[in-house]
Amino acid sequence: MIELQNISKSYRTDTIETLALQHMNLSVPAGEFLSIMGPSGCGKSTLLNIMGLIDEPTEGRVALAGKEVTNYNGSKVARFRNEQLGFIFQSFHLINDLSVVDNVELPLLYRRVSGKERRRLALEALERVGLSNRANHFPTQLSGGQKQRVAIARAIVGRPNIILADEPTGNLDSHMGDEIMDILTRLNQELGTTIVMVTHDERMAKKTHRLVRLSDGERVS
Amino acid sequence: MIKNYLTLALKVLRRKPFYTFISLFGISFTLMILMLVTSMGDALFGAHKPVSDLDQLVYTPFIERYTEFYDTTYTVDTIVMDDGALRFDSLQSVEPNGSMNNSNGPMSFHFLDEHMRDFENVDSYTFFSDASHIDAYLDGRKVSLNTYYADAGYWQVFDFDFIHGLPFGPDDVEQGNKVAVITDRAARNYFGEVSAAVVGSEMELGSERFRVVGIVERPLIDDRTVRGDIFLPVTTIDNRQYTSTEMYGPFQAVFKATAPGKRESIKQQIEFLADNFEMPPESDYENIRFRPGTYVEIFAGSTVMENDYDKAKLMLFIPVAVLLFLFLALPLLNLINLNISRVYERKSEIAVRKAFGADSRDILYQFIFENLVLTFIGGLIGLALAVLVIKYVNANDLLGIVRLSFSVQNFFYFLLVILLFGLFSGLLPAYRMSRTNIGTALR
Ligand SMILES: Nc1ncnc2c1ncn2[C@@H]1O[C@H](COP(=O)(O)OP(=O)(O)OP(=O)(O)O)[C@@H](O)[C@H]1O
Ligand SMILES: [Mg+2]
Repeated sequence: MIELQNISKSYRTDTIETLALQHMNLSVPAGEFLSIMGPSGCGKSTLLNIMGLIDEPTEGRVALAGKEVTNYNGSKVARFRNEQLGFIFQSFHLINDLSVVDNVELPLLYRRVSGKERRRLALEALERVGLSNRANHFPTQLSGGQKQRVAIARAIVGRPNIILADEPTGNLDSHMGDEIMDILTRLNQELGTTIVMVTHDERMAKKTHRLVRLSDGERVS
Repeated sequence: MIKNYLTLALKVLRRKPFYTFISLFGISFTLMILMLVTSMGDALFGAHKPVSDLDQLVYTPFIERYTEFYDTTYTVDTIVMDDGALRFDSLQSVEPNGSMNNSNGPMSFHFLDEHMRDFENVDSYTFFSDASHIDAYLDGRKVSLNTYYADAGYWQVFDFDFIHGLPFGPDDVEQGNKVAVITDRAARNYFGEVSAAVVGSEMELGSERFRVVGIVERPLIDDRTVRGDIFLPVTTIDNRQYTSTEMYGPFQAVFKATAPGKRESIKQQIEFLADNFEMPPESDYENIRFRPGTYVEIFAGSTVMENDYDKAKLMLFIPVAVLLFLFLALPLLNLINLNISRVYERKSEIAVRKAFGADSRDILYQFIFENLVLTFIGGLIGLALAVLVIKYVNANDLLGIVRLSFSVQNFFYFLLVILLFGLFSGLLPAYRMSRTNIGTALR
């Protein structure tokens, strides 16, 4: 499903060049629930971004569903992101000008879905993360954990084949964290959704199929 | 899809009341000013009845007599020849020294009659006087009337709207018939009504009686050539004035060219007349000139007191244009600035949308729609403002008798200009943003 071959990523600023990823090889078969762990700054988010086609590797080859990705601005890639990928950002990235339910509808906005159906699916997704009572709030009126759950609802609303989750339980108490894990596990089991999750929590990682550890931009296991 | 963009735009604009307010203010204010200025420009310089053929008219309001003074300079070069003899080379030059005696004013009927009847490329022309006031009496009540003495050509050059009756014709002028054309306002003031019954009634003007032959609509424009309350045949003016052989008198001439392009030819013929004019020997002056001009030229010349009309137009219109430009540039620049910063401010929103499947086109459409919605609402407000201000100006006679009108065509034209400004200012940054890397934008 996801194939990374010899991926390197470096960030260049005026003064220094940071190697965020070095010669990374990773393949995630369809239907797998994979977790990624590693110390802060080791390149976990960078790796997830590259898998989610929102960052280009400096070197190496990315293939999704058997097709190599080349043009990151094309409408084909946009379509792929829309239909196949659901992203949960580490810092949520909700749109503050839009209400919670409008935020959750976002991925459906770029599909042929009627407004009514969009609203229904969004409310359903909010229900799953236990936030239907906040549908008409705005992101600035939510707590960190609530924002995180909105971000999760947005990622699952379009039933993508792949969910990329950057510390989806990082801001939640253990009870809420378990619930989110349940949701993800169920998506994985019932719909066969491929899930790649970055986490700092060994307990969460244990619930997944496989664990990949990173250190300084390299795979250590 | 369009509905999506539209509702999205409305949502975002509602969430940013301050930005929305400033943008709407900029758009509607700019529109209103543009509408007001063009409406005033049209009222002042546009063709309106009874001066519908404004672009064919050449005005000759006065004659100027002048004598230029010259300095004569002798230059003598002295050269010493080989044999020691001196040789002289002398040069005499005569140049105007800038000082001059002159006097100007409107002309006598006799002068116009004698010299200005046979120009080419003239469709029609008129000699008339706008300088008299006559007190009319009715039942001991006095009504003061601004009186024009005109020939029959006056009614051809100017296309007054006759409410009742007809203009006086060449026969009336030739025979000195005591007939009058009056405006509706004069009719109301004197007869108390504007009706067909007024035609044929007599008016007591000074010591004479005139029969009304026509009632015209009073022109609501600020043009000195058509601002009379009452128009009488030129032959009924004080006989001394009619027959005076002086150059000066109360008359001026207006020529209607056969086409706008022929006005230049008429001006040249008038200038030719001046250049070849033989001054009576007893005159205090050596030359004459007329300074014929179009309506705009005469207006500019008299406003900035400059006889060179090309210069006058520049002196008048460049400052006006610069002021107008500055006045409009401020809200427009503000709009552009707002638009650009707004796009950059929404960098992460754009990146998030792309991460969830929006392509560059979706992003562009979204910004286009936001702009369209803003311009549309701003346009509506601007429309309302412009209509209100114009109504207010007209209702309170803020521009004297001049009436402003609302041009739908101009309105849509300006709306389009503002839309283009908005699109260019918002689209270019939006386009660039839509192509930036999502990952970097979301740091
Ligand atoms: N845009 C950037 N410019 C320069 N350096 C960057 C940029 N983005 C990331 N880096 C660097 O790349 C390295 C990897 O960053 P990344 O965000 O992938 O770490 P992470 O493993 O997700 O850390 P955390 O657990 O704290 O989220 C870091 O050293 C970071 O400083
Ligand atoms: Mg990270």
